[in-house]
Amino acid sequence: MPEVFRGRDDARAKASGAARYVGDVSLPGMLHVAVVRSLLPHARIAGIDTKLAEAADGVAGVFTAADVNPAPYGRSVRDIPILARGKVRFAGERIAAVVAESRRAAEAAAALVEVTYEDLPAVLSAEEAITPDAPAVHEEPWSYPRAAVRPGDGQNMQSRVVHGSPEAVEAALAASDHVIDGTYTTPSGHQGYLEPQACVAAVDGSRLRIWATNKSPYRLRSQLAECLGLDPASIEIQPGPLGGDFGGKGSPMDIPLCAELARLTGRPVKLVLRYTEDLTATNPRHPARIRIRAGCDAGGRLTAVEVRALLNGGAYAGFKPLANVSLHGVEECTLAYHVPALYLETVIAYTNTVPRGHMRSPGSPQSAFAIESALDELADLASLDRAEFRRRNLVRPGEPSVTGKVWAEARGAPTLDAAVEQARLSQAQAPPGWRRGTGVAVYAREAPGMAATSVRLIPVQGGRIRAEVPVPETGTGSHTVIRNLLAAGLGVSAADIDVVHVGTGDLPGDPGVGGSRVTVGMSEALDRAARAWRERGGPGEPVEIRSGPDAGGGAPPPAVSSYCAQVAQVAVDLVTGQVKVLEILSAVDVGRIVHPAGHQMQIDGGTVMGYGFACLEDLAEDDGQVTAANLGEFRLPVMADIPALRTVLVEGGQGVTSANVKPVGELTNVPVAAAIANAVADATGCRIRDLPVTAEKVYWALRDRAEAERRQK
Amino acid sequence: MKLSFTLNGEEVEVAAETGALLVDLIRDLGLTGTKEACGVGVCGLCTVLVDDLPVSSCLYLAACVDGADVWTVEGLARREPGLIQAFAEHEGMQCGICTPGQVVAAAALARENPGATEAEIREHQAGNLCRCTGYQTIAASVEAYLAAR
Repeated sequence: MPEVFRGRDDARAKASGAARYVGDVSLPGMLHVAVVRSLLPHARIAGIDTKLAEAADGVAGVFTAADVNPAPYGRSVRDIPILARGKVRFAGERIAAVVAESRRAAEAAAALVEVTYEDLPAVLSAEEAITPDAPAVHEEPWSYPRAAVRPGDGQNMQSRVVHGSPEAVEAALAASDHVIDGTYTTPSGHQGYLEPQACVAAVDGSRLRIWATNKSPYRLRSQLAECLGLDPASIEIQPGPLGGDFGGKGSPMDIPLCAELARLTGRPVKLVLRYTEDLTATNPRHPARIRIRAGCDAGGRLTAVEVRALLNGGAYAGFKPLANVSLHGVEECTLAYHVPALYLETVIAYTNTVPRGHMRSPGSPQSAFAIESALDELADLASLDRAEFRRRNLVRPGEPSVTGKVWAEARGAPTLDAAVEQARLSQAQAPPGWRRGTGVAVYAREAPGMAATSVRLIPVQGGRIRAEVPVPETGTGSHTVIRNLLAAGLGVSAADIDVVHVGTGDLPGDPGVGGSRVTVGMSEALDRAARAWRERGGPGEPVEIRSGPDAGGGAPPPAVSSYCAQVAQVAVDLVTGQVKVLEILSAVDVGRIVHPAGHQMQIDGGTVMGYGFACLEDLAEDDGQVTAANLGEFRLPVMADIPALRTVLVEGGQGVTSANVKPVGELTNVPVAAAIANAVADATGCRIRDLPVTAEKVYWALRDRAEAERRQK
Repeated sequence: MKLSFTLNGEEVEVAAETGALLVDLIRDLGLTGTKEACGVGVCGLCTVLVDDLPVSSCLYLAACVDGADVWTVEGLARREPGLIQAFAEHEGMQCGICTPGQVVAAAALARENPGATEAEIREHQAGNLCRCTGYQTIAASVEAYLAAR
């Protein structure tokens, strides 16, 4: 098997500006869209005056809910209207759309649309939403197609998921030697992809063509077909790269609107969001309040864990793809450990705030911050070394995880040991007068099951192979991974393979990018494709493969897990509370690495995103308005911010399929925040239970403690 | 308003609306390598060179380039093939949407401070956000480019 690795297949096109994204698409006769958005979090729409806008220069039309399909859409629950009908449920919601000859003309005319509101009482937090007298965000949330709630579940409930027995946990906690009870909160945040959401739609007879910043084209096609009452075969989602995703580009977003506007005007239309719209009106991360109660025996063995999570789901639930309308990361937050008694309740509430969606390992960064902070606190109560405490509780080989699966192997201990040992070798220097601290955190996730995907191999002149794939390149390097896997499977040079993303008309299907599934799902399809390629009738024949759980082939393979253990070293200025993260070391449990540079970037990029979550990012709101409404206010890490990053690959893991791969894209972003908060607690003795860890919070925590100590004397 | 300036080494004469921004002028000419994200001069995606200085073209009035020498990523890719080579070789990108801005910023650094240290590179490129890579390969790409010149 010659493993001739080369660099990314898209590197030159991207570096030279030749790569074309949705925002670069221009069609003959194309019009431009600007959206009129709600200024209020909750209000009845008393009137929309479009006369001035319609008369403005270059305007082709102004459209409201009366003009577009009334069917709501969504990824699972169908509760999102194309344009607000009757009332608005968050500040930023689409009320009307202006279509004009230029973007400038559309935006100028949008400012002339006059909306008359009758203000309604708004519910702005999840805590408030679940009180009995809270205003109703939706009149009958249970009546939407695929709703996960029923009448009687509560007026503002998007979902409530429960695992385990509260009684068993109470009994176990009562018998425990040490019990911690802590509540941890995390703010809203944004995926921070740097390509704004965009869509071009063109209707041509009965054919609808879509170019969109969407990572799940086949799902998008069926969502559009259902919402607009179209035949899926009449819709073609065009191929192309995405300028970052991180979970933010999985929903139909403004695409149903653009499809309707193309139909209504009879011309192609283009909408590119201004970044302020991305920050205030797309699908950012769920803010969370998570209470953890956990107990252990005198030997530091966990006895029971209770997790009660309350998340703010915003005005619409349709941005979440799972049928239970929950975030699986919260449900799986104790996956790394053996927990004899577990009770977990996770509630997502409707509020009059921006609807929330998925962001890189949805629910995990929030819940890992809670669990991994609480375990540190519990270790301290038990007077045990914090890493050793974790080591005693990791899932052991052969033990079932909380999902009930027994993994092919459980490599928590070697991964944690590698992190602790390597971190000990590099003691980062704190500035003079600052206090050093070290924190550890662990995260585990299961590899996804096989996905129903497809691929086509076509022989082309000169012995080259064209590999047509259904997955967009969102930036992860998936096309390069596909190329390298295929080269190995076919025994040819990677230089002879061209990976080409094709539109939805050209291959049978794919679930899209997400859940760390691309490498895993494609590895199986490519494996079969390579076999079929060798067995095909003649050298000129193409090969098309559909793979997935239904494609035949024996018992399912054992579940595969990946561990990540991180050690953060920080320095804290005890006078100002300023925290400098000196180093983050990530030990990652890996199988075969198909594209080493891309694999490392998933590790580093994840770690830096986790650092942003830990120390910087807060998509702040006030009175129902997102106030961190530009990238100056919502601050992402820049090159000069980031700490030293070190990686230890814990090699030799057993992965998925004959390619022996483990997912890596949603690992290192998860434990960082807890590792940093734990390091700050180690340095100062002060526990920050609310992200981000800012100098202000540390300053006040230090002051409060000093005050308490003074009083004691 | 009529503007004449050099764009990627060639004289151009274009009409622009009053108040038009440089980013729109450039993109409307078909040079879509220059991207736009934040619109407030923070993210660096729209970076171009005006008289050798890197500017955020989303904040730069098109009128101000009259008589100036403007370079976008497309022109720099032709003028400085080593720059593209360095980013390709060190894989200084993932999704690629910030890459043109990173490349233009790096070209400016090469002129301003060709012997930049790693810390200086990180400080210089701090005006160019990247959400994907964790920045390590971008820093390595810029370092390699400076070293190879």
